[in-house]
Amino acid sequence: MSAAAPAPTAHGEAEDKVSRIWLIAAGAAVVVNGMFPALWVLLTSLKTEGELTRVPITYLPVDPTFQNYLTAFAAQPLARFFFNSVVVAALSTILTLVVSALAAYAISRLRIRFKNVVLSVIVAVSMFPLISLMVPLFQTMRALGLLNTYAALVLPYTVLNLPVCILILVSFFNAIPRDLENAAMIDGCTRLGALFKVVLPLTAPGVFTAGIISFVNAWDEFLLALSFTSSMQMRTLPVGITLYQGEFAFPWPIISAALIVAIVPIAIVIVIFQERVVSGLTAGGVKG
Amino acid sequence: MANTAPKPVRRSLGDLSEGTLGTLMLLPTAFLLCLIVVYPVGRLVYISLFDWRMNLPNAVPQFIGFEHYIYALTDDPKFWEAVYNTVLITVITVPGALVVGLGLALLANLPFKHRWPTRLALLLPWALPLVFAGLIFRWFFNYDYGLVNDILARFGIGKVLWGTEPNLAFATICLVIIWKSSSFMAMILLAGLQTIPRNLYEAARVDGATPWQCFWKITLPMLMPSIVVALVFRTITAIQTFDIPYAMTGGGPGGTTETLAMYIHKTTIDFLDFGYGSALAMLMFLVSLVATVVYLRIIQGDKE
Repeated sequence: MSAAAPAPTAHGEAEDKVSRIWLIAAGAAVVVNGMFPALWVLLTSLKTEGELTRVPITYLPVDPTFQNYLTAFAAQPLARFFFNSVVVAALSTILTLVVSALAAYAISRLRIRFKNVVLSVIVAVSMFPLISLMVPLFQTMRALGLLNTYAALVLPYTVLNLPVCILILVSFFNAIPRDLENAAMIDGCTRLGALFKVVLPLTAPGVFTAGIISFVNAWDEFLLALSFTSSMQMRTLPVGITLYQGEFAFPWPIISAALIVAIVPIAIVIVIFQERVVSGLTAGGVKG
Repeated sequence: MANTAPKPVRRSLGDLSEGTLGTLMLLPTAFLLCLIVVYPVGRLVYISLFDWRMNLPNAVPQFIGFEHYIYALTDDPKFWEAVYNTVLITVITVPGALVVGLGLALLANLPFKHRWPTRLALLLPWALPLVFAGLIFRWFFNYDYGLVNDILARFGIGKVLWGTEPNLAFATICLVIIWKSSSFMAMILLAGLQTIPRNLYEAARVDGATPWQCFWKITLPMLMPSIVVALVFRTITAIQTFDIPYAMTGGGPGGTTETLAMYIHKTTIDFLDFGYGSALAMLMFLVSLVATVVYLRIIQGDKE
């Protein structure tokens, strides 16, 4: 399943024809590795139940149909799952960015000695596997009356993303000269004003990277979403999609259609922001 | 977070409250960490010392000390099987994802005219929820209508029962975890690759180095910091493996693919044995703690 082509050393010049072919083969290997599962799901989602159980199996749908998509929306509240996922991921992303921007700014502008200690404490504390905190978290959420609310997911997801986002933002903030803020503050800006009006706009790539990582992690989470929501109206996509399966039956075309509905929007987001994710990782994430 | 106490500010524009402001800015983080991690961890330790079962009506939690821990460590074969599976998944998929991820990163770093197709292909598996990946590959490995068995049949090899033969089920789970996690690994490594100065390679080539030598003498050493961070980060998440085996096999056949996280989930949510589940969670946390300490050591070692 891995890349099949041999790995020539980076930065090799692709001048002659042979190396051009290798280049295309290498690119194709990466693309196929990343795309083929989604592609196969797309093809499956367009097949009828009858075609699916044909032997030998067909690759391209003989008689493409969108019926599975209609069934997927009718059989489960798929639109609601989708809405819940977007709300939870968006809220936790916003909260993560605000909280981590404040913390990262403080860490970046405090004296060096404390910087590492505070950073270490934050990373160490939030590295706790949330899975192992399921029981006490469940009880906390119940005591606060938050079960089956967005907050029950938004708060843990925010904590899940805090360390990575703080690390990324700290490394971006450190690269901004203090003089810029000082100049803003001479002009009558407060510290917080300088953070939001000067520092954050200048570190937009880092904020974007942190935001996308938060969003995807929140979008991805399954176990807490499964445990802290019991009402159908509060399920998120990852949990909702597992509900299509019956005790024995697996309606693959319908599950595939639901999967495509869930995958396509995030794929579009990624197409739009791909440059920023990779460049943000280059600039900030790697230094950890 | 006692170390955030306000302190005198040396040079600033008459803004004496810089330290206080710093503390205030760390407060939201501190509050969230206390609510979601610190307090629950305290509760976890407390519950783990009790016989606390929610499936018995009117049962009063009874203090039993470290009995759960002793039972798990000395007398619970299921616990050890879950530990074994989790450790095996970790030692197979972490190096596996590194090798595949490094390969993908090297390929994606080639001088393509358009960078977006390879980038997208690295980002898509990363953004795909783990459960989805599990479901999709479950369909791939479906006995009757799966693509894998179809291809095997076309090559004249018989169909394989991927889901019911323990070793095969385990192998397919590892394969999917490697597929899913290698893409983020590749992105981190790709980011690292792009920071290696080009002239190093040019100088090496002038000196007559082969591409193979360039890889071992330049690329790999320069990439080491990224590799270490990626490895330890992956290890911590591998210890928590849940979604993919849950979606692919549900822990079966016969618990042979059940991870520690799945065992904890089953004990607490299905059997409602909160006390024992909490003790298991503490044990899992201790394993993660060791990995985290290693991680912090490495990060701080980097900065010196």
